[in-house]
Amino acid sequence: VSADERLVLGRDGGLAHRLAEALGGELRLLPRAADDASWARWRAELAAGPRYRQIVVAMGSEPPAPPRGLAELEPDVWQQRAEEPFLAWCVALGAAAVCCADAGAIVAVAETPAPLDAAGFAAESGLADAVSALIRSIAQSEGGRGVRANAVTTPARLGPGAPDDGRGDPAAPAPPLARFPGRLVPEVVGAVRLLLGDEACGITGRTLPADCGRSW
Amino acid sequence: LREILVRERRTRTGTDAHTNTGAGSRAGTEQTVLITGASGGVGRGIALACAATGWRVWIGARREAEGQRVAREVDAAGGRGRYLSLDVTDADAVTRGMAEIAERDGPLDGLVHNATSGLSPKPVRLAEAPLAELRDHFSVSARGTWLLARAAFPQLCASRGSLLLLTSEAGFEGKARLSPYAAAKAMQRGIARALAREWGPHGVRVNCLAPLAASPAMETAFRNDPTMSARVLGRTPLGRLGDPVHEIGAAARFLLSRDAAYVTGHTLMVDGGSCPVT
Repeated sequence: VSADERLVLGRDGGLAHRLAEALGGELRLLPRAADDASWARWRAELAAGPRYRQIVVAMGSEPPAPPRGLAELEPDVWQQRAEEPFLAWCVALGAAAVCCADAGAIVAVAETPAPLDAAGFAAESGLADAVSALIRSIAQSEGGRGVRANAVTTPARLGPGAPDDGRGDPAAPAPPLARFPGRLVPEVVGAVRLLLGDEACGITGRTLPADCGRSW
Repeated sequence: LREILVRERRTRTGTDAHTNTGAGSRAGTEQTVLITGASGGVGRGIALACAATGWRVWIGARREAEGQRVAREVDAAGGRGRYLSLDVTDADAVTRGMAEIAERDGPLDGLVHNATSGLSPKPVRLAEAPLAELRDHFSVSARGTWLLARAAFPQLCASRGSLLLLTSEAGFEGKARLSPYAAAKAMQRGIARALAREWGPHGVRVNCLAPLAASPAMETAFRNDPTMSARVLGRTPLGRLGDPVHEIGAAARFLLSRDAAYVTGHTLMVDGGSCPVT
Protein backbone atom coordinates (compact mmCIF):
# COMPACT_ATOMS: atom_id res chain seq x y z
CA VAL A 1 0.00 0.00 0.00
CA SER A 2 1.49 3.34 -1.02
CA ALA A 3 1.47 6.34 1.29
CA ASP A 4 -1.24 8.07 -0.73
CA GLU A 5 -3.56 5.20 0.09
CA ARG A 6 -3.03 5.66 3.83
CA LEU A 7 -4.81 8.20 6.03
CA VAL A 8 -3.98 9.20 9.60
CA LEU A 9 -6.71 10.89 11.63
CA GLY A 10 -6.13 12.58 14.96
CA ARG A 11 -7.23 15.27 17.32
CA ASP A 12 -4.01 17.05 18.02
CA GLY A 13 -0.61 17.30 16.49
CA GLY A 14 1.55 15.11 18.69
CA LEU A 15 0.73 11.44 18.42
CA ALA A 16 -1.03 11.57 15.06
CA HIS A 17 1.82 13.60 13.52
CA ARG A 18 4.42 11.13 14.69
CA LEU A 19 2.43 8.16 13.47
CA ALA A 20 1.96 9.80 10.07
CA GLU A 21 5.70 10.43 9.89
CA ALA A 22 6.58 6.89 10.89
CA LEU A 23 4.03 5.16 8.69
CA GLY A 24 3.70 7.65 5.86
CA GLY A 25 0.32 8.90 4.74
CA GLU A 26 -1.99 11.88 4.66
CA LEU A 27 -2.68 13.52 8.01
CA ARG A 28 -6.10 15.02 8.77
CA LEU A 29 -6.73 16.58 12.18
CA LEU A 30 -10.05 17.25 13.85
CA PRO A 31 -10.78 20.96 14.27
CA ARG A 32 -9.41 22.21 17.57
CA ALA A 33 -12.65 23.95 18.40
CA ALA A 34 -14.80 21.24 19.92
CA ASP A 35 -18.07 22.63 18.71
CA ASP A 36 -20.59 20.27 17.20
CA ALA A 37 -20.95 22.11 13.90
CA SER A 38 -17.26 22.14 13.01
CA TRP A 39 -16.81 18.46 13.90
CA ALA A 40 -19.90 17.45 11.95
CA ARG A 41 -18.63 19.46 8.97
CA TRP A 42 -15.20 17.81 9.22
CA ARG A 43 -16.82 14.38 9.26
CA ALA A 44 -19.02 15.20 6.28
CA GLU A 45 -16.05 16.51 4.27
CA LEU A 46 -14.13 13.30 4.87
CA ALA A 47 -17.13 11.20 3.94
CA ALA A 48 -17.40 13.05 0.63
CA GLY A 49 -13.70 12.63 -0.15
CA PRO A 50 -11.55 9.77 -1.46
CA ARG A 51 -11.39 6.26 0.02
CA TYR A 52 -8.24 4.88 1.63
CA ARG A 53 -7.00 1.32 1.96
CA GLN A 54 -5.44 1.90 5.36
CA ILE A 55 -6.61 4.30 8.05
CA VAL A 56 -4.98 4.96 11.42
CA VAL A 57 -6.83 6.93 14.10
CA ALA A 58 -4.82 8.25 17.07
CA MET A 59 -5.91 10.55 19.90
CA GLY A 60 -3.06 11.26 22.27
CA SER A 61 -3.21 14.15 24.68
CA GLU A 62 -0.54 16.83 24.54
CA PRO A 63 1.14 16.92 26.96
CA PRO A 64 0.45 13.43 28.33
CA ALA A 65 -2.04 13.46 31.20
CA PRO A 66 -0.58 13.15 34.72
CA PRO A 67 -2.09 10.68 37.21
CA ARG A 68 -5.07 12.18 39.08
CA GLY A 69 -7.75 10.46 41.13
CA LEU A 70 -11.15 10.44 39.43
CA ALA A 71 -12.84 12.02 42.44
CA GLU A 72 -10.30 14.87 42.35
CA LEU A 73 -10.80 15.87 38.74
CA GLU A 74 -12.17 19.38 38.29
CA PRO A 75 -14.91 19.88 35.68
CA ASP A 76 -12.58 21.44 33.10
CA VAL A 77 -10.05 18.65 33.54
CA TRP A 78 -12.77 16.00 33.19
CA GLN A 79 -13.97 17.77 30.08
CA GLN A 80 -10.46 17.79 28.63
CA ARG A 81 -9.47 14.25 29.59
CA ALA A 82 -12.78 12.45 29.07
CA GLU A 83 -15.65 14.15 27.28
CA GLU A 84 -13.83 15.84 24.41
CA PRO A 85 -11.69 12.77 23.61
CA PHE A 86 -14.78 10.53 23.73
CA LEU A 87 -16.58 12.67 21.20
CA ALA A 88 -13.44 12.97 19.08
CA TRP A 89 -13.03 9.19 18.98
CA CYS A 90 -16.67 8.70 17.96
CA VAL A 91 -16.43 11.33 15.22
CA ALA A 92 -13.06 10.18 13.88
CA LEU A 93 -13.82 6.46 13.94
CA GLY A 94 -17.19 7.12 12.31
CA ALA A 95 -15.39 9.00 9.55
CA ALA A 96 -12.81 6.21 9.26
CA ALA A 97 -15.56 3.62 8.80
CA VAL A 98 -16.94 5.60 5.86
CA CYS A 99 -13.57 6.55 4.32
CA CYS A 100 -12.14 3.05 4.40
CA ALA A 101 -12.15 1.35 1.01
CA ASP A 102 -13.63 -2.11 0.58
CA ALA A 103 -11.25 -4.74 1.98
CA GLY A 104 -9.31 -1.98 3.74
CA ALA A 105 -8.06 -1.84 7.31
CA ILE A 106 -8.59 0.55 10.21
CA VAL A 107 -6.36 0.66 13.29
CA ALA A 108 -7.06 2.86 16.32
CA VAL A 109 -4.20 3.76 18.67
CA ALA A 110 -5.31 4.54 22.22
CA GLU A 111 -3.03 5.62 25.04
CA THR A 112 -3.74 3.95 28.35
CA PRO A 113 -1.79 2.36 31.17
CA ALA A 114 -2.13 -1.37 31.65
CA PRO A 115 -4.82 -2.34 34.19
CA LEU A 116 -2.18 -2.89 36.88
CA ASP A 117 -1.12 0.74 36.56
CA ALA A 118 -4.53 2.28 35.93
CA ALA A 119 -4.93 4.21 39.21
CA GLY A 120 -5.00 7.91 38.38
CA PHE A 121 -6.00 7.24 34.79
CA ALA A 122 -9.69 6.41 35.03
CA ALA A 123 -10.59 8.65 32.10
CA GLU A 124 -7.89 7.18 29.88
CA SER A 125 -8.75 3.60 30.90
CA GLY A 126 -12.38 4.29 30.14
CA LEU A 127 -11.56 5.81 26.76
CA ALA A 128 -9.43 2.82 25.79
CA ASP A 129 -12.33 0.48 26.56
CA ALA A 130 -14.67 2.76 24.63
CA VAL A 131 -12.33 2.60 21.64
CA SER A 132 -12.26 -1.20 21.84
CA ALA A 133 -16.07 -1.27 21.78
CA LEU A 134 -16.19 1.15 18.84
CA ILE A 135 -13.65 -0.91 16.94
CA ARG A 136 -15.67 -4.07 17.52
CA SER A 137 -18.79 -2.20 16.40
CA ILE A 138 -17.05 -1.13 13.16
CA ALA A 139 -15.67 -4.63 12.62
CA GLN A 140 -19.28 -5.83 12.66
CA SER A 141 -20.84 -3.02 10.62
CA GLU A 142 -18.15 -2.88 7.92
CA GLY A 143 -17.05 -6.52 7.90
CA GLY A 144 -19.51 -7.31 5.13
CA ARG A 145 -17.42 -5.33 2.63
CA GLY A 146 -14.18 -6.82 3.85
CA VAL A 147 -13.08 -3.97 6.10
CA ARG A 148 -11.08 -4.99 9.16
CA ALA A 149 -10.95 -2.86 12.31
CA ASN A 150 -8.54 -3.35 15.20
CA ALA A 151 -6.96 -1.31 17.98
CA VAL A 152 -3.57 -0.96 19.63
CA THR A 153 -3.17 0.32 23.17
CA THR A 154 0.05 1.71 24.56
CA PRO A 155 1.29 2.90 27.97
CA ALA A 156 4.35 4.47 26.34
CA ARG A 157 3.57 7.94 27.69
CA LEU A 158 1.12 7.25 30.55
CA GLY A 159 1.64 5.61 33.91
CA PRO A 160 4.90 4.25 35.24
CA GLY A 161 7.82 4.28 32.87
CA ALA A 162 11.25 2.92 32.29
CA PRO A 163 13.82 3.10 35.12
CA ASP A 164 15.20 6.61 35.62
CA ASP A 165 12.72 8.36 33.34
CA GLY A 166 11.09 10.13 36.30
CA ARG A 167 7.65 8.59 35.89
CA GLY A 168 8.00 6.10 38.71
CA ASP A 169 8.53 2.39 38.60
CA PRO A 170 5.75 -0.07 37.82
CA ALA A 171 4.30 -1.99 40.74
CA ALA A 172 5.33 -5.61 41.20
CA PRO A 173 5.50 -7.81 39.29
CA ALA A 174 7.90 -6.27 36.82
CA PRO A 175 6.78 -6.28 33.18
CA PRO A 176 8.11 -9.30 31.27
CA LEU A 177 10.09 -7.21 28.79
CA ALA A 178 12.73 -4.76 29.99
CA ARG A 179 11.71 -2.49 27.09
CA PHE A 180 8.60 -1.50 29.10
CA PRO A 181 6.74 0.79 28.59
CA GLY A 182 7.82 0.75 24.95
CA ARG A 183 8.05 3.65 22.54
CA LEU A 184 6.09 4.84 19.58
CA VAL A 185 8.80 3.42 17.34
CA PRO A 186 9.26 0.51 17.14
CA GLU A 187 6.75 -1.02 19.57
CA VAL A 188 3.55 0.84 18.71
CA VAL A 189 4.24 1.41 15.04
CA GLY A 190 5.20 -2.25 14.69
CA ALA A 191 1.87 -3.38 16.11
CA VAL A 192 0.00 -0.93 13.88
CA ARG A 193 1.85 -2.15 10.76
CA LEU A 194 1.06 -5.73 11.69
CA LEU A 195 -2.67 -5.06 11.99
CA LEU A 196 -2.81 -2.90 8.86
CA GLY A 197 -1.01 -5.43 6.73
CA ASP A 198 -2.33 -8.33 4.70
CA GLU A 199 -0.74 -10.81 7.07
CA ALA A 200 -3.45 -9.85 9.56
CA CYS A 201 -6.19 -10.53 6.99
CA GLY A 202 -8.06 -12.81 9.41
CA ILE A 203 -7.87 -10.50 12.41
CA THR A 204 -10.62 -8.03 13.14
CA GLY A 205 -12.35 -6.57 16.18
CA ARG A 206 -9.30 -7.12 18.37
CA THR A 207 -7.39 -4.84 20.71
CA LEU A 208 -3.67 -5.54 20.91
CA PRO A 209 -1.81 -4.12 23.93
CA ALA A 210 1.64 -3.01 22.75
CA ASP A 211 2.81 -2.83 26.35
CA CYS A 212 5.73 -5.22 26.60
CA GLY A 213 3.63 -7.83 28.34
CA ARG A 214 2.24 -5.61 31.07
CA SER A 215 -1.34 -6.79 30.48
CA TRP A 216 -2.90 -9.90 29.03
CA LEU B 1 -2.95 -19.25 59.53
CA ARG B 2 -4.23 -17.90 62.83
CA GLU B 3 -3.85 -14.36 61.52
CA ILE B 4 -5.85 -15.23 58.42
CA LEU B 5 -8.61 -16.80 60.50
CA VAL B 6 -8.77 -13.83 62.85
CA ARG B 7 -8.99 -11.51 59.88
CA GLU B 8 -11.71 -13.66 58.39
CA ARG B 9 -13.71 -13.54 61.61
CA ARG B 10 -13.32 -9.77 61.75
CA THR B 11 -14.42 -9.55 58.16
CA ARG B 12 -17.53 -11.56 58.90
CA THR B 13 -18.38 -9.49 61.94
CA GLY B 14 -17.34 -6.16 60.50
CA THR B 15 -15.14 -5.39 63.49
CA ASP B 16 -11.90 -4.59 61.69
CA ALA B 17 -11.78 -0.96 60.66
CA HIS B 18 -9.14 -1.76 58.09
CA THR B 19 -11.10 -4.47 56.38
CA ASN B 20 -13.67 -3.77 53.72
CA THR B 21 -16.75 -5.72 54.62
CA GLY B 22 -18.85 -4.36 51.79
CA ALA B 23 -22.21 -2.73 52.19
CA GLY B 24 -23.41 -3.56 55.63
CA SER B 25 -20.10 -2.98 57.30
CA ARG B 26 -21.70 -0.53 59.69
CA ALA B 27 -24.27 -2.77 61.30
CA GLY B 28 -26.03 -5.89 60.17
CA THR B 29 -28.73 -5.21 57.63
CA GLU B 30 -28.92 -1.47 58.21
CA GLN B 31 -27.72 -0.58 54.73
CA THR B 32 -28.36 2.54 52.77
CA VAL B 33 -28.10 2.34 49.01
CA LEU B 34 -28.86 4.76 46.20
CA ILE B 35 -29.89 3.40 42.82
CA THR B 36 -30.01 5.76 39.85
CA GLY B 37 -32.52 5.26 37.08
CA ALA B 38 -34.59 3.18 39.47
CA SER B 39 -38.05 4.31 38.44
CA GLY B 40 -38.42 1.20 36.29
CA GLY B 41 -36.70 -1.72 34.58
CA VAL B 42 -33.42 -3.06 35.92
CA GLY B 43 -33.06 -0.22 38.45
CA ARG B 44 -36.43 -1.06 39.96
CA GLY B 45 -35.44 -4.73 40.03
CA ILE B 46 -32.28 -3.96 41.98
CA ALA B 47 -34.25 -1.74 44.36
CA LEU B 48 -36.75 -4.48 45.14
CA ALA B 49 -34.02 -7.09 45.56
CA CYS B 50 -32.29 -4.81 48.08
CA ALA B 51 -35.62 -4.15 49.79
CA ALA B 52 -36.09 -7.86 50.40
CA THR B 53 -33.06 -7.73 52.70
CA GLY B 54 -34.45 -4.81 54.65
CA TRP B 55 -32.18 -2.13 53.24
CA ARG B 56 -32.93 1.57 52.99
CA VAL B 57 -33.23 2.15 49.28
CA TRP B 58 -33.10 5.58 47.68
CA ILE B 59 -34.76 5.67 44.29
CA GLY B 60 -32.81 8.23 42.25
CA ALA B 61 -34.84 9.24 39.20
CA ARG B 62 -36.13 12.18 37.23
CA ARG B 63 -39.69 10.87 36.94
CA GLU B 64 -41.17 11.61 40.35
CA ALA B 65 -44.48 9.74 40.11
CA GLU B 66 -42.78 6.54 38.96
CA GLY B 67 -39.95 6.96 41.47
CA GLN B 68 -42.38 7.44 44.34
CA ARG B 69 -44.26 4.36 43.22
CA VAL B 70 -41.10 2.24 43.32
CA ALA B 71 -40.27 3.69 46.75
CA ARG B 72 -43.66 2.43 47.97
CA GLU B 73 -42.94 -0.95 46.41
CA VAL B 74 -39.68 -1.02 48.37
CA ASP B 75 -41.64 -0.42 51.58
CA ALA B 76 -44.02 -3.20 50.71
CA ALA B 77 -41.16 -5.57 49.96
CA GLY B 78 -39.63 -5.15 53.41
CA GLY B 79 -37.21 -2.29 52.91
CA ARG B 80 -37.51 1.43 53.46
CA GLY B 81 -38.00 3.32 50.25
CA ARG B 82 -37.12 6.98 49.67
CA TYR B 83 -37.43 8.94 46.46
CA LEU B 84 -34.67 11.32 45.36
CA SER B 85 -35.24 13.67 42.45
CA LEU B 86 -32.02 13.16 40.52
CA ASP B 87 -30.62 13.99 37.12
CA VAL B 88 -27.20 12.32 37.10
CA THR B 89 -25.86 14.76 34.51
CA ASP B 90 -26.52 17.74 36.79
CA ALA B 91 -23.56 18.34 39.13
CA ASP B 92 -25.55 20.44 41.59
CA ALA B 93 -28.38 17.93 41.74
CA VAL B 94 -25.93 15.10 42.45
CA THR B 95 -24.21 17.07 45.21
CA ARG B 96 -27.53 18.06 46.78
CA GLY B 97 -28.81 14.52 46.57
CA MET B 98 -25.80 13.07 48.36
CA ALA B 99 -26.15 15.66 51.11
CA GLU B 100 -29.84 14.85 51.52
CA ILE B 101 -29.12 11.14 51.87
CA ALA B 102 -26.32 11.66 54.38
CA GLU B 103 -28.44 14.01 56.46
CA ARG B 104 -31.31 11.58 56.73
CA ASP B 105 -29.64 8.17 56.77
CA GLY B 106 -25.91 8.72 57.32
CA PRO B 107 -23.26 7.75 54.80
CA LEU B 108 -24.19 5.62 51.82
CA ASP B 109 -23.13 1.98 51.96
CA GLY B 110 -23.77 1.35 48.30
CA LEU B 111 -24.21 3.39 45.16
CA VAL B 112 -25.58 1.82 41.99
CA HIS B 113 -25.34 3.85 38.78
CA ASN B 114 -27.94 2.25 36.58
CA ALA B 115 -29.32 5.24 34.69
CA THR B 116 -28.58 5.22 30.99
CA SER B 117 -29.37 7.48 28.08
CA GLY B 118 -32.88 7.32 26.73
CA LEU B 119 -31.22 6.93 23.34
CA SER B 120 -29.66 3.61 24.32
CA PRO B 121 -31.92 1.42 22.17
CA LYS B 122 -31.95 3.83 19.19
CA PRO B 123 -30.12 2.35 16.18
CA VAL B 124 -27.67 4.68 14.44
CA ARG B 125 -24.63 4.41 12.17
CA LEU B 126 -21.58 5.74 13.97
CA ALA B 127 -20.68 7.98 11.02
CA GLU B 128 -24.11 9.60 11.15
CA ALA B 129 -24.63 9.86 14.91
CA PRO B 130 -25.55 13.45 15.75
CA LEU B 131 -23.08 15.07 18.13
CA ALA B 132 -25.90 15.87 20.53
CA GLU B 133 -26.75 12.19 20.75
CA LEU B 134 -23.13 11.24 21.38
CA ARG B 135 -23.03 13.82 24.17
CA ASP B 136 -26.20 12.40 25.70
CA HIS B 137 -24.81 8.86 25.80
CA PHE B 138 -21.61 10.16 27.36
CA SER B 139 -23.32 12.47 29.83
CA VAL B 140 -25.56 9.90 31.45
CA SER B 141 -23.13 6.98 31.54
CA ALA B 142 -19.63 8.45 31.86
CA ARG B 143 -20.19 11.97 33.19
CA GLY B 144 -22.83 10.57 35.54
CA THR B 145 -20.28 8.06 36.83
CA TRP B 146 -17.75 10.82 37.45
CA LEU B 147 -20.22 13.14 39.18
CA LEU B 148 -21.61 10.38 41.37
CA ALA B 149 -18.16 9.04 42.23
CA ARG B 150 -16.91 12.50 43.12
CA ALA B 151 -19.87 13.29 45.33
CA ALA B 152 -20.18 9.88 46.98
CA PHE B 153 -16.52 9.16 47.65
CA PRO B 154 -16.41 10.68 51.16
CA GLN B 155 -19.53 8.77 52.18
CA LEU B 156 -18.32 5.49 50.70
CA CYS B 157 -15.00 5.97 52.50
CA ALA B 158 -16.83 6.52 55.77
CA SER B 159 -18.95 3.40 55.35
CA ARG B 160 -16.27 1.37 53.53
CA GLY B 161 -18.96 0.80 50.99
CA SER B 162 -19.06 0.04 47.32
CA LEU B 163 -19.87 1.49 43.92
CA LEU B 164 -21.62 -0.62 41.31
CA LEU B 165 -21.89 0.47 37.68
CA LEU B 166 -24.45 -1.10 35.38
CA THR B 167 -22.75 -1.75 32.07
CA SER B 168 -23.75 -3.98 29.17
CA GLU B 169 -22.53 -6.81 27.02
CA ALA B 170 -22.42 -4.14 24.32
CA GLY B 171 -19.47 -2.70 26.21
CA PHE B 172 -17.56 -5.93 25.62
CA GLU B 173 -18.48 -6.86 22.11
CA GLY B 174 -19.63 -3.63 20.50
CA LYS B 175 -22.82 -3.29 18.50
CA ALA B 176 -22.98 -2.58 14.78
CA ARG B 177 -26.03 -0.35 15.10
CA LEU B 178 -25.70 0.79 18.74
CA SER B 179 -22.06 1.78 18.76
CA PRO B 180 -22.36 5.04 20.77
CA TYR B 181 -24.21 3.12 23.47
CA ALA B 182 -21.59 0.37 23.36
CA ALA B 183 -18.79 2.92 23.71
CA ALA B 184 -20.42 4.66 26.66
CA LYS B 185 -20.97 1.35 28.45
CA ALA B 186 -17.42 0.22 27.74
CA MET B 187 -16.11 3.47 29.12
CA GLN B 188 -17.76 2.71 32.44
CA ARG B 189 -15.89 -0.59 32.63
CA GLY B 190 -12.54 1.08 32.07
CA ILE B 191 -13.34 3.71 34.67
CA ALA B 192 -14.37 1.04 37.17
CA ARG B 193 -11.15 -0.89 36.61
CA ALA B 194 -9.05 2.17 37.42
CA LEU B 195 -11.29 3.32 40.24
CA ALA B 196 -11.07 -0.06 41.97
CA ARG B 197 -7.33 0.50 42.21
CA GLU B 198 -7.73 4.10 43.38
CA TRP B 199 -10.34 3.37 46.02
CA GLY B 200 -9.19 -0.06 47.20
CA PRO B 201 -6.71 1.39 49.70
CA HIS B 202 -9.66 3.30 51.23
CA GLY B 203 -11.62 0.09 51.63
CA VAL B 204 -14.11 1.01 48.92
CA ARG B 205 -14.96 -1.58 46.27
CA VAL B 206 -15.90 -0.82 42.66
CA ASN B 207 -17.54 -3.33 40.34
CA CYS B 208 -19.66 -3.55 37.20
CA LEU B 209 -22.61 -5.72 36.33
CA ALA B 210 -23.63 -6.48 32.74
CA PRO B 211 -27.24 -7.66 32.67
CA LEU B 212 -29.42 -9.11 29.96
CA ALA B 213 -32.81 -8.33 31.41
CA ALA B 214 -36.43 -8.25 30.44
CA SER B 215 -36.79 -4.48 30.67
CA PRO B 216 -38.62 -1.65 28.91
CA ALA B 217 -35.32 -0.69 27.19
CA MET B 218 -34.91 -4.21 25.83
CA GLU B 219 -38.52 -4.26 24.66
CA THR B 220 -37.87 -1.02 22.78
CA ALA B 221 -34.68 -2.39 21.25
CA PHE B 222 -36.56 -5.51 20.11
CA ARG B 223 -39.26 -3.32 18.60
CA ASN B 224 -36.70 -1.14 16.80
CA ASP B 225 -34.91 -4.14 15.34
CA PRO B 226 -37.27 -7.05 14.58
CA THR B 227 -34.35 -9.43 14.06
CA MET B 228 -32.84 -8.68 17.44
CA SER B 229 -35.02 -10.94 19.55
CA ALA B 230 -34.10 -14.08 17.62
CA ARG B 231 -30.46 -13.01 17.53
CA VAL B 232 -30.22 -12.34 21.27
CA LEU B 233 -32.21 -15.28 22.54
CA GLY B 234 -30.78 -17.65 19.95
CA ARG B 235 -27.29 -17.31 21.31
CA THR B 236 -28.25 -17.33 24.99
CA PRO B 237 -27.73 -20.80 26.48
CA LEU B 238 -30.50 -20.24 29.01
CA GLY B 239 -32.79 -19.13 26.18
CA ARG B 240 -34.52 -16.26 27.94
CA LEU B 241 -34.07 -12.78 29.35
CA GLY B 242 -33.22 -12.34 33.02
CA ASP B 243 -35.74 -11.35 35.66
CA PRO B 244 -34.90 -7.84 36.86
CA VAL B 245 -35.68 -8.55 40.53
CA HIS B 246 -34.83 -12.17 41.22
CA GLU B 247 -31.91 -12.63 38.85
CA ILE B 248 -30.38 -9.24 37.98
CA GLY B 249 -31.32 -7.57 41.26
CA ALA B 250 -30.09 -10.47 43.36
CA ALA B 251 -26.71 -10.42 41.62
CA ALA B 252 -26.41 -6.66 42.17
CA ARG B 253 -27.31 -7.12 45.83
CA PHE B 254 -24.55 -9.70 46.12
CA LEU B 255 -21.98 -7.27 44.76
CA LEU B 256 -23.14 -4.62 47.22
CA SER B 257 -23.17 -7.00 50.17
CA ARG B 258 -20.53 -8.24 52.57
CA ASP B 259 -20.60 -11.57 50.75
CA ALA B 260 -18.68 -9.78 48.00
CA ALA B 261 -16.24 -8.11 50.41
CA TYR B 262 -13.26 -9.41 48.45
CA VAL B 263 -14.62 -8.64 44.99
CA THR B 264 -13.47 -5.45 43.31
CA GLY B 265 -12.52 -4.29 39.83
CA HIS B 266 -14.75 -7.01 38.38
CA THR B 267 -17.52 -7.08 35.78
CA LEU B 268 -20.11 -9.74 36.54
CA MET B 269 -22.01 -10.95 33.48
CA VAL B 270 -25.61 -11.72 34.43
CA ASP B 271 -26.78 -12.54 30.96
CA GLY B 272 -27.71 -16.20 30.81
CA GLY B 273 -24.41 -16.90 29.07
CA SER B 274 -25.28 -14.64 26.14
CA CYS B 275 -22.08 -12.64 25.73
CA PRO B 276 -19.30 -14.57 24.01
CA VAL B 277 -16.69 -12.16 25.35
CA THR B 278 -15.85 -11.98 29.04
